[in-house]
Amino acid sequence: MRFNPNINAAVLNDIQQSEQNVQTAYQQVSTGQRVNAASDDPAAAAALVQLQAQAASVDQYTANAEAVLSQAQTADSTLTSVVSQLNQAITLGTEGANGTNSATNRQTLAADVQSILTSVVGLANTSYQGVSLFGGTVSGQAAFVADPASATGYTYTGNSGINQISVGDSLTVQANIPGSTLFTNPNASVLGALSNLATALKTGKSADVATATTQITAALNYVTEQHTVYGNTINQLNSQETYLSQETVTLTSRESSLVGIDSATAAENLAQAETANSAVLAASAKVIQTSLLNYLQ
Amino acid sequence: MSSLSSSLAIASQALQAQELEIQVTNNNIANVNTAGYTRETVNLAEADPTQAGSLSVGNGVEIQGIQSVRDELLSLRIQQQTSQQSSAEAQVNALTQIESLFPTTGTSLSSSLTSFFSSLSALSANPTNAADRQTAIESAQTVVNQFNSISQGLTGPTSTLDTTVKTDVAQVNQLSAQAASLNLELVQQQAAGQNTGTISDQLNQVETQLAGLTNISVTHNGQGDSIITGSGTPLVLGTQSYALSTQTGSDGHQQVLDSNGADITSSITSGDIGGTLQVRDTQIPAILNSLDTLANQFATSFNAAQAQGYDQNGAVGAALFTIPGTVAGSAAGIALATTDPTKIAASSDGSSGSNGNVANLTAIQNTVLASGQSVTTQSSNLVYQVGSLTANATSQSTSLGQSITALTNQQGSISGVSIDQESANLIQYQQAYEAAAKVVNTIQSLFETTINMLVTN
Repeated sequence: MRFNPNINAAVLNDIQQSEQNVQTAYQQVSTGQRVNAASDDPAAAAALVQLQAQAASVDQYTANAEAVLSQAQTADSTLTSVVSQLNQAITLGTEGANGTNSATNRQTLAADVQSILTSVVGLANTSYQGVSLFGGTVSGQAAFVADPASATGYTYTGNSGINQISVGDSLTVQANIPGSTLFTNPNASVLGALSNLATALKTGKSADVATATTQITAALNYVTEQHTVYGNTINQLNSQETYLSQETVTLTSRESSLVGIDSATAAENLAQAETANSAVLAASAKVIQTSLLNYLQ
Repeated sequence: MSSLSSSLAIASQALQAQELEIQVTNNNIANVNTAGYTRETVNLAEADPTQAGSLSVGNGVEIQGIQSVRDELLSLRIQQQTSQQSSAEAQVNALTQIESLFPTTGTSLSSSLTSFFSSLSALSANPTNAADRQTAIESAQTVVNQFNSISQGLTGPTSTLDTTVKTDVAQVNQLSAQAASLNLELVQQQAAGQNTGTISDQLNQVETQLAGLTNISVTHNGQGDSIITGSGTPLVLGTQSYALSTQTGSDGHQQVLDSNGADITSSITSGDIGGTLQVRDTQIPAILNSLDTLANQFATSFNAAQAQGYDQNGAVGAALFTIPGTVAGSAAGIALATTDPTKIAASSDGSSGSNGNVANLTAIQNTVLASGQSVTTQSSNLVYQVGSLTANATSQSTSLGQSITALTNQQGSISGVSIDQESANLIQYQQAYEAAAKVVNTIQSLFETTINMLVTN
């Protein structure tokens, strides 16, 4: 058997192959990625695209949840103030219903109730980042405007629209309660009851004052009931945020197991490739320089 | 009858034989690094003996000729593999460029689509936020830019590939002409009974170069080598070569024509031309079609979702993207219909603060479209498609390269010049020459003895 005497081509091929391995190992160490181009592992690269899309959705859900959370918290604290204002109005009404009150006293009480009405309207017009919290889905304007023609002195200019916000693939939360539901609900109108109480106090009929006070109590109960909607939203958002942050961790770890390489393995691969490369070079240097001529004299 | 003079004739023949051996060895050593050189050996044989009565006396050595040591079958195998390897290599070169259009990190088509849908989802928290709307419209612009630039990146290489086909065909013609003239020399030398080793080496080299450009089949016959490409198109028959030509076809691409002007583009399946045609006519169109389908369906369904809602001014949502009517050219032709951020139809009831239609807009990302796949799946499949084409071509090129190395190694073990062997031979021939010279010397002194005998008597 004759052997190929010209091993240079084969030797060069081996050296190139070994240097290619060193480069690949180096690239994996420096990027921390096993897949640096789609052809490195087409299936993993394609799966990565899907994972990245999922991760981006999760990030966006988190951002949405944070935005709604602050909005809901603002609405929540606004309603807390409305509740305390209504409690105060009930106290005033109870006081006004007492027959021993003088007319002057009642006028003062009426003025107090009127100012509560004004401040409740003020609260109902609360806006968050330019969005009227209780104006339905109408934006850029206050929910309630003064209107002398209206019985309460105010007209609702919003609409009854409700925005649902996606904070998960299949989870949406209610972001707002329209002012028409909260403050001018026909069955338990906050503004109506307050305005009725003020009028009753002005006219001075104890029975009317008592009726109006009962209406306020009903309105208070209704607002408290609606208040829990925000409470629920806030709870839901808090737990969803926790879930989303776990999801982010899961997705990141799936991503790195898909296309990443752990640094110990990468370093070991590099060391191995370098050793192999030096061995090939050293061996090549030995085999390509000897021939019979070295020994013939 | 044997005599001193016939012995001298044998010795001088021996000297000639060793000289020739030394010259061939010398030639082998001189060509140790010549590409395509096949080592040569001298064929020596015993000369016919002379009958002297019952004795048969040897008549020395006879030079029969010089022979190249080659294995024709191996050469053919190498040519075949070279064809396929060049094809794979041409595909790798073109596809690596295309692969860079679909990066796994940084801004890519899929990442820009994802950002676009995220920016729309952000609108749901505050549909009237001008900054969010601006971001959404800019993301839409990025998506459009990605479609446009990838489509351009896919069609751009085809003109380079056309140029490759043209220059390759010119090279094929040049090599065919060269092979034809070598055939002529071969026939002439054969007729003159000369050693054809050198011509065969050259012919072999030319054929291997041809194999790198196109698929060829070579047959040896009395007229030299016949070289056929494609499905039976002759390149070289005997001393006649047939030139291929190119022309721009109806699709605007270069077609390969045989010497009679018939289109043989589809029959060229390997070599650099074959690989280039494969990328140009099969792989790029397939990728472009996936991209166009995605662009078309994405834009169409997004515009439909827009129409379900109302923009910030309360008007029914108008189309956000303009898209060509046909799938082909959609990625190149997709554009933004408006850059006005208020035109994004977030509202479901006409009130500016409503986000009711955002869900319809973002649903496009993961809803199954007409192609049977969602936007995300389609864009990830596109990455897979490009990645696997490149990976296949690369691994094919690598394995064929290894197989060629093995075959070349095998060929080298038969035909390669070994300095060790030649050096050892040289010593052997030197000694044989010295011995023959010694014989001449001896015969000379015998002649002298004989002459002196005459003188003294």
